[in-house]
Amino acid sequence: MIDEKEIQIDRSEQDDKAIEHQWTTKLRKKVEGELPPNKLLPDTQPAYVSSWIYVFGVLTLSALGVVAVSGGILALFGPSWWQQSPEGHFVNSLHLWSVELFFFFMVVHLWGKFFMAAWRGKRALTWISGAVAFLVSIGAAFTGYLSQQNFDSQWISTQGKDAMNSIGIGAFFNLMNFGQMFMWHILLLPLLVVVIVGIHIVGVRAKGVVPPIGSLPNKEDYAKPWQGKVRPYDIIKEGTIAVIIVSLLTVALSVVFSSPDKPPLTIQRWAKADPTDFVTTAASELAGTSFSGSYGPPYNNGTGAVQYLGPISLQKIAGVRIPINSAYDFVLQPLSIVPNNPTLKAALKTYESASPATQTLWNNNFAKADSKLMVKGNEIAVPKGNYGPIPMLMDNMLKLANTGALDAALENSHQFYGTDYTKPLLFMADGNYMASLATQDHLTGNQWGMMNETDKWPGQPWLWLYTMWYQIPPMSTSGNADVLVMSIMVLLTIGFASIPFIPGVRSIPEKVGLYRLIWRDYYKDQKS
Amino acid sequence: MYAANLLTTVIGALINLTGPGHYIKWGFIQMSLANLILIILMIVVLFLAIVIPFPHRSGGKR
Repeated sequence: MIDEKEIQIDRSEQDDKAIEHQWTTKLRKKVEGELPPNKLLPDTQPAYVSSWIYVFGVLTLSALGVVAVSGGILALFGPSWWQQSPEGHFVNSLHLWSVELFFFFMVVHLWGKFFMAAWRGKRALTWISGAVAFLVSIGAAFTGYLSQQNFDSQWISTQGKDAMNSIGIGAFFNLMNFGQMFMWHILLLPLLVVVIVGIHIVGVRAKGVVPPIGSLPNKEDYAKPWQGKVRPYDIIKEGTIAVIIVSLLTVALSVVFSSPDKPPLTIQRWAKADPTDFVTTAASELAGTSFSGSYGPPYNNGTGAVQYLGPISLQKIAGVRIPINSAYDFVLQPLSIVPNNPTLKAALKTYESASPATQTLWNNNFAKADSKLMVKGNEIAVPKGNYGPIPMLMDNMLKLANTGALDAALENSHQFYGTDYTKPLLFMADGNYMASLATQDHLTGNQWGMMNETDKWPGQPWLWLYTMWYQIPPMSTSGNADVLVMSIMVLLTIGFASIPFIPGVRSIPEKVGLYRLIWRDYYKDQKS
Repeated sequence: MYAANLLTTVIGALINLTGPGHYIKWGFIQMSLANLILIILMIVVLFLAIVIPFPHRSGGKR
């Protein structure tokens, strides 16, 4: 450090005054005042910091480090690596288990801080930054689950989209757009988590660890530096040990349990496994009566899935941003690219040149024959009736699906590189087959599926509260369930972050009295 | 060969969690056994962290 007294400084008094008022000088002085090196890297800490509950903060940080390193390795090699190679899958397991540990430690840390009323002594910002870090981490983990590229990702995206759409952000945060979710997961949300966690750590270091309840005479004293007993504290050693423990735990859990890898569903697999469901779904897309076809914003002007919060529909205000015409996008357009098939071309021309009334008549007749629909090989059989060219179109849809060409056609309609799976996912979600697979794995909404993972792996238990609201009336029976649950969660989130300011709630720790156990050494010491 | 076998052991699961999961149903509450174990573990760890004595080192007045 340069001592200004030792060097000749050639500047006027006027310069000195100007320097004093510079933004840079003011910021430097504030940082020096609030965060001197002995606060940032302390070698002692108050003697009351004497409980295992205190280690969960550093364990959470260490787990975040392991999450970042394992995620970095996954990013280095790319999505196909963790999908196709055993080594990649192992690093994927490391990433999954480090995330589980991260949330595990963070929740215990949070409970501990709540029971210590750690917001006392002007530490509200530290509590708020911790609460926000927890919530942003949930978002980061959620986009991670969407980026796995397995069946769980597909199902979560098709179900979660309704919640996003209900509050009008579905088009801007499209869960079925893998490319967008992947970028949020590996760049935007981790960056946000790191920044908020940084603010949290600076808050903890600047304000110090909150003193025990009742240890100081005045409320204001809790904000002042601790004047009582201290003990030696090696923060670097503590951090190193925590990183080693978390790394070993992550490796052990990955070796013992690995990670889920249920392959994604394809339209080809669906068409082969349940051709009748595929054909009836395709027919409903052509008629515009499927869930997607009649959904409403952001896909079209339907009303089937439009949700209201009182008189307001945020979904309608956001408008149609990802235009989808189920007949054209899911049936007519993919069929139009089939080469060397004059019969199909003629059938398409007949359908497209028919009047809307005739199209509706054909579609209605075909829908009525749904229950008697038979599929033999690549061909469908329906009782005689006036369906126009629809049986011919459905025959070819089935053929296209069975070859895998429909997957490709829906994914990359207009471009070579594709990362947006909105269309194939919407199409698959309109059928019953995908839902039947999800039901087997307890992933559906009424099975508390948002928390669950496929097979026997743990999922996202931290989503329990969000999932719970869907099971309770009026949400469990309401067509506006998503917007109601999202609104409740927004209010609860604000409340959670604002606990230091809510009379009654902020006094719960003192009433519960767990703090007496946490700081029992301090209180015993005071008594003696 | 030994290295390849070791790698296979390390990257394959020792306990296979593939297969239908177990679920607990209690009134309207449904939860997978794996999630329930995690939540119970969190509560147990919180309890232990509070009750297990922290190793003491002599503290003095600053």
